[in-house]
Amino acid sequence: MRMRRIVWQGIRALSESKTRTFFMMAGTIVGIAALTVIMALGRGTEKQVMRRVKTFGPRAIMLIAGGGKNAPPDMSVTTLTLDDARAVREQVKDLEIVTPMAWRFRINVKHDANQYQAVLWGVEPSWHEAWDWYAAEGEGITDEDVATIARVCVIGQTIKRELFGDIDAVGERIYLNKVRFTVKGVLAKKGTSPMGSDFDNRIIIPITTAMRRVLNVDYVGAIRIITRNPKLMPQQIKEIRALIHARHHITPPQEDDFRIASPVSIAKMARGTSRTLSILLVALAGLSLLVGGVVLMNILLISVGERQKEIGLRRAVGATRGDILSQFLAESLTVTSSGMVLGSGLGAAVTLILKQATKVPVGLSSAPFALSLAFALLVGLFFGIQPARKAAALNPVEALR
Amino acid sequence: MIEVEGLEKTYSAGSVSTPVLKGVSFRIEKGEYVAIMGTSGTGKSTLMHILGCLDKPTGGSYRLDAANVGSLDDDALSHLRNRKIGFVFQQFHLLERTTALKNVLLPLIYADEYPADAEERARRALIAVGLAERVEYRPNELSGGQQQRVAIARALITDPEIILADEPTGNLDRKSSLEVMAIFKKLHQEGRTIIVVTHDQAVAEHAQRIIVLKDGQITEDRVVKKPRDPDVELETLGDEEDVQ
Repeated sequence: MRMRRIVWQGIRALSESKTRTFFMMAGTIVGIAALTVIMALGRGTEKQVMRRVKTFGPRAIMLIAGGGKNAPPDMSVTTLTLDDARAVREQVKDLEIVTPMAWRFRINVKHDANQYQAVLWGVEPSWHEAWDWYAAEGEGITDEDVATIARVCVIGQTIKRELFGDIDAVGERIYLNKVRFTVKGVLAKKGTSPMGSDFDNRIIIPITTAMRRVLNVDYVGAIRIITRNPKLMPQQIKEIRALIHARHHITPPQEDDFRIASPVSIAKMARGTSRTLSILLVALAGLSLLVGGVVLMNILLISVGERQKEIGLRRAVGATRGDILSQFLAESLTVTSSGMVLGSGLGAAVTLILKQATKVPVGLSSAPFALSLAFALLVGLFFGIQPARKAAALNPVEALR
Repeated sequence: MIEVEGLEKTYSAGSVSTPVLKGVSFRIEKGEYVAIMGTSGTGKSTLMHILGCLDKPTGGSYRLDAANVGSLDDDALSHLRNRKIGFVFQQFHLLERTTALKNVLLPLIYADEYPADAEERARRALIAVGLAERVEYRPNELSGGQQQRVAIARALITDPEIILADEPTGNLDRKSSLEVMAIFKKLHQEGRTIIVVTHDQAVAEHAQRIIVLKDGQITEDRVVKKPRDPDVELETLGDEEDVQ
């Protein structure tokens, strides 16, 4: 009770000089705002990472033709073959699925007067299982389709909508590069790919048909691999890389003609984009809290000097040294914790603006509140203790003179 | 009851030591009205600080009721000041930007128990010093005399045994001074112990007893046979003003 009264004395002293209080608060406000934005960015990034990994497949490895780190698949690289897929399947242990895919971006799909630029994938039946992506209407690609080089296709939801609208597409005819195909099924809706593009603009056909009748190639674009045990994945990736190096006669300083994507590399890529911004904000938060703390300390030190008589009087009417210490600490802690509340609000506002203005993923939550409060109290205590001690140490006789 | 015996206070700065009080002894009974007189530099401020438990003697003893003040630590002295002593300073020492009421309440902040009727008590104290209409005024809206009366109300709020006033009229005009002295007279009549420290003979003569301090020693300790009556003087002051 007595302590509560003393804390109130500190808060009243603050409310009596609002400008001074604001300057004491400014650093904390900016620092905590930056902290709030950092946390929102971090959370947003993690949410995106998880979503992307989930879409990519937590047990999946993609062996993609074309070197470079994150470059889009290079259609002109001709070195990845069905034999490579077979070799991986036979030589690397504990793989559940190894399914090669031939592909082409932007292929003209036509039905009556409607046209659409689709992404073509030539696949084996195990493709459905490897992507956990099946026909929602009609059927998927079968072994027989592959064996007979059948001119059948399964189309994504976007193509269905663009070419057929609400009309049933199964059984209809469409033209792919002037080759006639029968629509066998419509794929379930998938949404956005790990790279951020539309997944539902795909059209899949048997891999044999794709390579011999449409694209006229003897190579594939990628091989999708599903492991039986995600724990083995790092080792399996090493083995696959070594295997392809040997098959393609590549010795490491030499550049690879393929790359391997895994959940780990996908997550890394997704995190990389927001890293620079986060580092900048961490620096801003740290600097603001530090500078803010020093300003707070100096204003408090000046105020102790200005308020000598007040301190002397309080001592005369019965305040102990501890009471004076408590009052001044209450002042600095109130400044920083109020600054924290305002800073959290500001940070939330900046986050929302960021969300509206840019595509940076953000995730606001109440979780940073506790951390911010801890930071604010720490700054208040660290920079408030010295002025408070100075005030408490004043000799009442001299302070009153 | 106050009892000082061979009280000494020596200030030391490095190897130089300056004795300010050189063996002061006296007794002040409960309910007495005493003036401690002396010109500046005679140690009367130091004596006041020691009597007010703001400072500790370097020699001799000071007993305030049962407590041996010299042996108490800083916290115990603070509590003692809070419970037993009401200060009135020459410079009033009110908190700026704070109402008269809040100023009067200040000592209760540091009391062990904050009475439920604290505000009511503060209002009564302000009424007692004639400031019923000024409860919500801030110091800069009050005259010097009014400010000093707020300070007296503040000294009274904890119901202390001793009112310790240091040159209480030093910054006031004659009329305000007399008003302050009239309040002291009334408090004395109510049974409170009043100690006024002053260099001013006219102020001192309101007390029943005058202790004169010179060069850190008591040179005189006498009873005032017929103390001056501030109420009478206020009336004649009114007459004088009428004449003018």
